[in-house]
Amino acid sequence: MTNKYKVPPQIEHNVKSVKDIGKGKNAFLSRRTTGDIIFDTVNLIIMILFTITMLYPLLNTVAVSFNDGTDALRGGIHLFPRMFTWDNYKAVLSKELMPTAAKISVLRTVIGTVTSTFVTALLAYVLSRKNFIFKKQLSLIYVITMYVSGGLIPVFLVYKALGLTNSFAVYILPGMVSAFNMLVIRTYMNGLPESLSESAEIDGAGHMTIFIKIIFPLCMPVIATVALFTAVGQWNSWFDAMLYNRMSDNLTTLQYELMKLLSAVTTSGKGQTAQSMEHASGMVTPTSVRAAATVITSLPIICLYPFLQKYFVAGLTIGGVKE
Amino acid sequence: MGNPFNAEKKQTISLKQFKNQKVLILLSIPFIIYVIIFCYVPLGGWLMAFQNYKPKNGLLHSQFVGFDKFEFLFSNDQFLKVIRNTLAMGVINLVLGTVTAILFAILLSEFRFNRGKKLVQTISYLPHFLSWVIVTGIVFDVLSTENGIVNELLVNLHIIDKPFNFLADPKWFWWIVGFANVWKETGWNSIIYLAAITSISPDLYEAASIDGAGRLAKIWHITLPGIKPTFFILLIMNIGNVLNAGFEVQYLLGNGLVQSVSQTIDIYVLKYGISQADYSLGTAAGIFKSVVSLILIVIANQLAKKMGEEHLF
Amino acid sequence: MKKIKSIAALSLAFLMMAGMAGCANTSGGDGSDGNAAAGGEAGTTAAAGGDTGAASSGEIKEFTAFFAVPGNELNSDNRVQNAIAEKIGAKCKETWLTGQTAEEAIGVMIAGGEYTDFIVGSSGSTTLIDAGALIPIDQYWDNYPNVKNFYSEAEWNQIRNEDGHVYIIPQFGNVYMYDTGTIHNDEAFWIQTRVLEWAGYPKIETLDEYFDVIERYLEANPTMEDGTPNIGYEILTDDWRYFCLENAPFFLDGYPNDGCCIVDETTHQAIDYNTTPTAKRYFQKLNEEYKKGIIDPETFTLNYDQYIAKLSSGRVCGMVDQHWNFQDAENAIKQQGLDNCTYVPVGVVIDKGIEERYHSESALDATGGIGITVSCDDVEGAMKFLNDLLDPEILTLRNWGQEGVDYLVDENGLFYRNEEMRKNAVDQAYLNANMCPYSYFPNYEGMNHDGINACNANNQPSEFFEALPEPVKKCFEAYGVQTYTQMLNPSKENSPWFPMWSYSNAFTTETPWGLAKVNMDEVKHEYLPKVVISEDFETAWNEYLTVYNDRCDTEAYLNALTEEVQRRIAIAEGN
Repeated sequence: MTNKYKVPPQIEHNVKSVKDIGKGKNAFLSRRTTGDIIFDTVNLIIMILFTITMLYPLLNTVAVSFNDGTDALRGGIHLFPRMFTWDNYKAVLSKELMPTAAKISVLRTVIGTVTSTFVTALLAYVLSRKNFIFKKQLSLIYVITMYVSGGLIPVFLVYKALGLTNSFAVYILPGMVSAFNMLVIRTYMNGLPESLSESAEIDGAGHMTIFIKIIFPLCMPVIATVALFTAVGQWNSWFDAMLYNRMSDNLTTLQYELMKLLSAVTTSGKGQTAQSMEHASGMVTPTSVRAAATVITSLPIICLYPFLQKYFVAGLTIGGVKE
Repeated sequence: MGNPFNAEKKQTISLKQFKNQKVLILLSIPFIIYVIIFCYVPLGGWLMAFQNYKPKNGLLHSQFVGFDKFEFLFSNDQFLKVIRNTLAMGVINLVLGTVTAILFAILLSEFRFNRGKKLVQTISYLPHFLSWVIVTGIVFDVLSTENGIVNELLVNLHIIDKPFNFLADPKWFWWIVGFANVWKETGWNSIIYLAAITSISPDLYEAASIDGAGRLAKIWHITLPGIKPTFFILLIMNIGNVLNAGFEVQYLLGNGLVQSVSQTIDIYVLKYGISQADYSLGTAAGIFKSVVSLILIVIANQLAKKMGEEHLF
Repeated sequence: MKKIKSIAALSLAFLMMAGMAGCANTSGGDGSDGNAAAGGEAGTTAAAGGDTGAASSGEIKEFTAFFAVPGNELNSDNRVQNAIAEKIGAKCKETWLTGQTAEEAIGVMIAGGEYTDFIVGSSGSTTLIDAGALIPIDQYWDNYPNVKNFYSEAEWNQIRNEDGHVYIIPQFGNVYMYDTGTIHNDEAFWIQTRVLEWAGYPKIETLDEYFDVIERYLEANPTMEDGTPNIGYEILTDDWRYFCLENAPFFLDGYPNDGCCIVDETTHQAIDYNTTPTAKRYFQKLNEEYKKGIIDPETFTLNYDQYIAKLSSGRVCGMVDQHWNFQDAENAIKQQGLDNCTYVPVGVVIDKGIEERYHSESALDATGGIGITVSCDDVEGAMKFLNDLLDPEILTLRNWGQEGVDYLVDENGLFYRNEEMRKNAVDQAYLNANMCPYSYFPNYEGMNHDGINACNANNQPSEFFEALPEPVKKCFEAYGVQTYTQMLNPSKENSPWFPMWSYSNAFTTETPWGLAKVNMDEVKHEYLPKVVISEDFETAWNEYLTVYNDRCDTEAYLNALTEEVQRRIAIAEGN
């Protein structure tokens, strides 16, 4: 509990008062009640159990990824490989397009996340203005987009007409404004005290100034959340690479390369004749290569979270408001 | 949160209002153009649902068949069963998903060991990155009648006398899917609530402590109300998604014996539509889902509005 | 201040618009490009003769291909691919189906109107032809004898579209000279050699005998040497792979694998095998064995991975399957040194006296194949590429690799591989970098054009005997045979309508018979497992029949198939 109110140094100047409160609370908390102790013990046990169940699948995947492919078919591998090998990683990393794919994945994640988060936050700002006359209409227009879709072929045709096929832009533009993320940010903005923007308005600040200088910084926890959602979405998506950029090897992404490995086994074989299956069967990707590919493609994005966690610190926003 | 006087103001001083709002309106224009191009223009594809769409003829020249595709869907007993399955799993996912996410977010924010807290948080979202193929593989292992941990436990505790094949029993299927979802997504879903909890003013907890409130009381009176707006927004949005109960999990976990409860709308459409080179059936089912979703969120939204809670529009 | 904010807003608006306009511009460019290409097509076609000449003088053409099946992408600097390209002046970049169904992928391509040079539509083939996406190959093939002579006139007639043109070349099932026939790659009842050895290599002819042997073996050997329990029989029912449960009845009745029906040899009528008395007896037998615990209790909830895991452990005594479907498991069994747990096929029938037909000669699937699309702006070049790929020298490169690196030749001209080459041949990373089978381009089976070697290493008898596990050799000796195929009856000449699955695979729900087929699959997938695990077989069987007859329009289904049988007979007779 003590550290819950610890404030990262870079914004310390904003939140002196909170820090003081935190100190006071420290002293107060040292007198823990029996209830507290029971609660914390139970909580600790729950968290340990929870962690184990959540960690197991990944550890298992890592174990399988280091195990010989044919041997792994037998199953029964849990936390440690039975026949250790680097071959699966070699098989995945030896795929020729991996360096290009990694570059494009990083680029689309960075550019896509920065643009989308900013633009979505801007829309959220517009729609969080209480007196904006088209607030309701514009919100509705965006809410609807979450539940309707023209379908695969019409969307493809529109993007093609826009010149988005075989282009990097197809990774950025279609997902630039997300209704879901906008609503999440707007909800957070609605929770901020109105006095903030009002006083700025009296000082003569324009909307863009208020948004960039005041509201956006105050929304860091939710911005971090949305950035995380967007980054993970960008990193994990492969369908767009497959559908729009299939023939452009220089625009392939890591997840698409992974999917190519996976799909040899997961795509339904309906319509495949026995004879054609014979020709495909030698190509079925072993489970262990799948596991290696999963580890390789998910590790980088998993590492993102700890960096964003510093924004999930209580007191940050309200501290600013208090000043 | 909405301003009740908004409407009246708009009517009386609309010109002045308009001038004040110039910037907001200007800012909105690109967003409107954007959404029209990227979301509403492709909706022209809905025409497909009323056609016998052939890619060679395109949207403009395919044969019109009116409501035939819808009739095909709704005249089929199987489709009604499939709607039931989708709804059931959608609701189970919604309830279990929301409850576990909130519970986990609260427990984590109350967790005392700061280092452990970050670790637990990071670990909690790991399963989100594993594909369903891997996750369902583990579900199979856990539930197996041969050395599956669940059956071992139940047999050793003498709750059952011989291993039970949960995956062969239609009664259990929806819940297995529900719990698989919980397992994979709890950590991920809780992120948004964790962010919401950070926005709660520490003053409130401080004041409550001084009043002698215990931990549970503080959770009940401060944390829960603090995340209420987020809860309502997510709830309304997710209610619109109950018919999107998924495809992959059911497809991977399902088998012949539980087929009557495992098929979802998406699986049905794949089998009877897309795999049969019938591109229209999927669009018809999609329209049906969209209409139901929109009706549901409008109802949910109005209810939230009436209750004075956060709402979408 | 106000000015600044409106400028800011405007410039943002402008930026977004500019972005979109930019896109619109490029799309305009794309469109004109497309036109230019289309316009140029006629030109290139006309000048094709000159073109091909140019290619041989050093410049390497690159074609593109899309295969609507999952597959493995080769590295672009693939060794054999480059070797082939040097010889024929062309290569092809292959892309495969990823995370979509074939119909979806093909539908999007047709809607977009842009294709790769070559295309394999898989189950979307008919859609492609209907959409006019393919060029008629028969109008170009006169200069390309390898293509034209790939099939006989009679066979091409089977492939021809209703308009009389040939749009696709079926790639598989074309046997050169004769089938080396060592491995039975298709469906059969399989049984482990240890079971046969224990039972003294009895002659197994009927379903009852088959289960009897397994039952007795299990009773005597409830566990493996390491103590894990043996499993008598496994049935895979994962998705489309549930053929392992459902299609045995027609084999038991002595018919070949037509897939979707039985065809009566005399009346030429299609017969539904799902409700025959044999089907009932087969499922009743499975039901009895399930109750006795011979069949794995969790067999119907296994997915493919777990099925392979169970087989790989060497515990499973027998099952019905196609060999290619469990080949990986057999490799795993061998890797553990459990050679006596590998499988041999047995030709089981329902009653003694019925002649089994599990092994069939490779048959022509006239409904699927590779085509050249209208987007290809060098059709002559593409035809030459197809033609060159069928050249004996190139075929050897595709199927065996490069001499000295991938295989060796002995003094008699017989190809063989050393230990390292064999290891490389199963290493996917090595294959991607080095071997280029062009696996979905037309290829021969059976013998290599030199008449000495098998078409590819897997079918080379010497390689086959080299790799044969000791217990299998012993088993073969006991039965007086040399190969897996000889465990079964020799194949008979295929009937003119065989295989019927090449017709039913192209069904869609638009037709009553197509809808019937989907419904039949649905009902069988749900009710047949229920029948097998039922406490009361009769009730469960009757329930299955009721639902089946209620939901499936078998009459329309069988009529459509019968008509197709007649049509194929007519073509074969040259009408």
